[in-house]
Amino acid sequence: MKPPTVVVKRMPSRFKHQVPKYKVTRSDACINCGTCAKTCPYGVHERVEGQNRAKPPIDYKCIGFACQGNDFYCVGKCPRQALSLSLNPMYATLGDFRWTADMITGTWIMAETGYPPQRTDLEYNVGNSGGGFDKLRFKFPSNPPQVDKSEISTAIPLNRRNDGRANIVISTPVYGGGMSFGSVSLPTMISKARNATKWNTFTCTGEGGYPEMLRPYDDHVITQIATGLFGVREETVQRVKIIEFKYAQGAKPGLGGHLLAEKNTESVARMREAVKGTSLFSPFPFHSVYSIEDHKKHIDWIKEMNPNAIVSVKVSTPNDVDMVAVGSYYAGAHIIHIDGGYGGTGAAPDIAKKNIAMPIEYAITKVHGFLKEEGVRGAMTLIASGGIRTAHDLAKAICLGADGAVIGTAELVSLECVRCGNCESGRGCARGIASTDSELADLFDEDWATQRLVNMYHAWNVQLVDILQKFGMRSVKELVGRTDLLEHIDYSYETELAHHG
Amino acid sequence: MPKKYHIHPKAAPLDLRYVFKFKIVRGENCINCGKCTKVCIYEAHKRRKDDPRRMADPNTVVCRNCFRCIQECPRGALEKSLDKDFANIGGAFWKPDMLISLWKQAEDGKVPVSGAGYRGPFTGTGFDSMWTDMSEIVRPTRDGIHGREYISTSVDLGRRFNHLVFDAEGRLVSKVPDTVDLPIPILFESPTADLSANVREGLVKAAAEIGTCIIMPAADITPEFAEYSDSIIPCLAPVEIDTHRAVIEKARLVAINHSDALMSDLPHVREEIRRISHALTIIRVSAEKDVEETVARLAHSGAEIIHIVADYCGRELSGAAGPDQRLLKDIIRAVHLRLVEDRIRDEVTLIASGGIAMAEHVPKAMLCGADLTAIDIPLMIAVGARLYEEPERQLIFPEGLGRIPVPIVTQRMVNLMGAWHSQILEVMGAMGIREARRLRGESGRAIFFEEVDRDTFGKLFKKNREAVRK
Repeated sequence: MKPPTVVVKRMPSRFKHQVPKYKVTRSDACINCGTCAKTCPYGVHERVEGQNRAKPPIDYKCIGFACQGNDFYCVGKCPRQALSLSLNPMYATLGDFRWTADMITGTWIMAETGYPPQRTDLEYNVGNSGGGFDKLRFKFPSNPPQVDKSEISTAIPLNRRNDGRANIVISTPVYGGGMSFGSVSLPTMISKARNATKWNTFTCTGEGGYPEMLRPYDDHVITQIATGLFGVREETVQRVKIIEFKYAQGAKPGLGGHLLAEKNTESVARMREAVKGTSLFSPFPFHSVYSIEDHKKHIDWIKEMNPNAIVSVKVSTPNDVDMVAVGSYYAGAHIIHIDGGYGGTGAAPDIAKKNIAMPIEYAITKVHGFLKEEGVRGAMTLIASGGIRTAHDLAKAICLGADGAVIGTAELVSLECVRCGNCESGRGCARGIASTDSELADLFDEDWATQRLVNMYHAWNVQLVDILQKFGMRSVKELVGRTDLLEHIDYSYETELAHHG
Repeated sequence: MPKKYHIHPKAAPLDLRYVFKFKIVRGENCINCGKCTKVCIYEAHKRRKDDPRRMADPNTVVCRNCFRCIQECPRGALEKSLDKDFANIGGAFWKPDMLISLWKQAEDGKVPVSGAGYRGPFTGTGFDSMWTDMSEIVRPTRDGIHGREYISTSVDLGRRFNHLVFDAEGRLVSKVPDTVDLPIPILFESPTADLSANVREGLVKAAAEIGTCIIMPAADITPEFAEYSDSIIPCLAPVEIDTHRAVIEKARLVAINHSDALMSDLPHVREEIRRISHALTIIRVSAEKDVEETVARLAHSGAEIIHIVADYCGRELSGAAGPDQRLLKDIIRAVHLRLVEDRIRDEVTLIASGGIAMAEHVPKAMLCGADLTAIDIPLMIAVGARLYEEPERQLIFPEGLGRIPVPIVTQRMVNLMGAWHSQILEVMGAMGIREARRLRGESGRAIFFEEVDRDTFGKLFKKNREAVRK
């Protein structure tokens, strides 16, 4: 359920056009009668009085072939058959196997309206990767117990150790991933923090220091300690409720980080306590950790410095991630945050993104299972990230055994990221999201961005509540580890039948 | 510490247009307002030089797909699509994006880096159905390509003993065989195509510069390559040994194509070569259905180095296409495990080739059990060749390639290998392995899709299904 601070408000795109899925073509047979402009409720057609030609159709507003059944379908209504409808070749240049064009478009609609899209022609819940979440389906019972949506809670606790430290409960089981100052613009960072505050959840500084402008949101900021220790200071550790150790990042596990010299501007350098214009490396791994005991000493060090904060350990997903998770429990961590191999990044070698470490779906299953076997599952919060694209992915991750998820790309897509992947090159993000370029970092204001994020979180929450209701559950906590509610296409009856007759 | 091996990349742009991915077309309703010029940070949109009142055609080569111009054009006059060339090039194995990436690596020798997460399918066939593992908390090697601790990519070729034999007085009886040491686990192969002279020379010089060798038909080894004899592996049939005496004399390695006749004749053929030089013999075996049998028999008959050759997409060579047709990943695993079973694996060197298309395939082939790999097509893409899989394999060289100076051709191949070497270091660094020799057959550092899927989802969802059945 949404906290009272959340207010959904329509926040349209900052661009004149969006990326069209369809192409509406008007031929020379058009007599400018204006029938289409009158009939289309979506505003595809426009006829200006006094002009002798109708304006070119605004493709992106069209809902496509799904409109054929409507009595206002323009192609059918046109008295001269001058209109035709086709798929727009442009749409093939948007998205990829993991984030399809439909998924990006769907996320944009959520960020604009605050609700999941009403359009039936967009498959925005499932991607086209042919594996993992994209092969898992919910098995909704036909007669679930009746639960009113207002009774359904999406809140989860983050501290389950009962150790006297902060009892943090977040209102929706999602929080924002670490993106450093330098990798994203200040407006992006601040909007993420403002959204986290409104949603009573968290955002994370990443490894790049703690900009002063985040001070008003201290209670909703996780500060990250990563291997380069950039911007880590006693006072920043002391001002927050959650401190995260970043051992590795799913997109580039085992490689460490690298901020290119040209991105290390004066303000970035100051924040990181480094020299301007030099390349900054975060090595891998922590050079102060040579064993699991050292890992515990790290956590003890932080706990000593901030007696109220809880500690999250962010690791990537090697084969033995389950052992790392159990080790983190014994080292005293509250949250084990596993970041899957297909997760986002501001810059990583392509070879690492594709090949190193496994997808999050397997890691959740392994870690949840092993923590249970060890009898410590109840004392740990398991957070999954790296490939959680939609509310459906989130719910599936929870079914597999996670308590909640961290998202990054979905937040940026809400701010109209197109996943072009040029975050790191030249002047940085052409869309102003992940750039510290003085001109580009100024492409949107924080009010716009905050509202887009609030809306997207709301749409996800609406979808999650809907899923819980269909399962007859009153809390998202009931969903954890319920793999019996999922079906994997490869292991379903139908597939079995098709293979073996 | 051994001298650090380093490949020196240098920008070597090639003035021949290669494939690009996106195409933007300016519609007739453009009002020449110039908004696109302002919003495009890649300078795809410019005004015409001859008539600045009008916009020039978009320069789509530089387009990075940011959609700014599309979304901000006041008239919606710009249309973007996938370029037709891009859609047609390559095929199911040699994906168009791969070709562009190889081309770019040849331009500057840099590791391809990009923002945003992985974009591809969850899993695939062959090498795409495995991941390399990494160590999370602690591991011996640090920092990959920026390493303070040296990661060696050296491998050696030749026969090795399982153990040494001493006589009663403790004197070494075993005669330790020679080996050839290569600093990088990649051999070049001369592709089966008509190569212009500069490309052939570039191949040899690039192999020499990075310290590896190139396998080429003995007949192609003309006298001007004499100074590169250390880097050239003449490939010939047993009957040609006498004809090519001169090149064999200087070679460190000689490649012989396998045939049924060779199997019984192997000791004799090796003897013949040894009479001419100290060169070690590579036996090239086609990756057919029973390749593991052939390799095992060769190994038992004393072969030193065996080169398994799959087709250009890494497929088995005999039999029809289909689910039973093995891919290089499985072929190497089968051969490796067969030799392990026969307790002879450590005594021979295995080279794998066919479908080694990207840097990741090198460590993956090694994890599966190869000692090293060999490549040809990627080196051709480095100089601008276009590969088509449909309707049949076709390698098309750009017009004008023959004019490109040898140093540029060479540098581009060196650049590609520099980028691959750096990528191999990244993967090895993440695994915590600092000796390429230790990669061989180290399947504990690999995650195989079938295995991890069966152990997690297989267990879970089969159990669930059976519970329903009851």
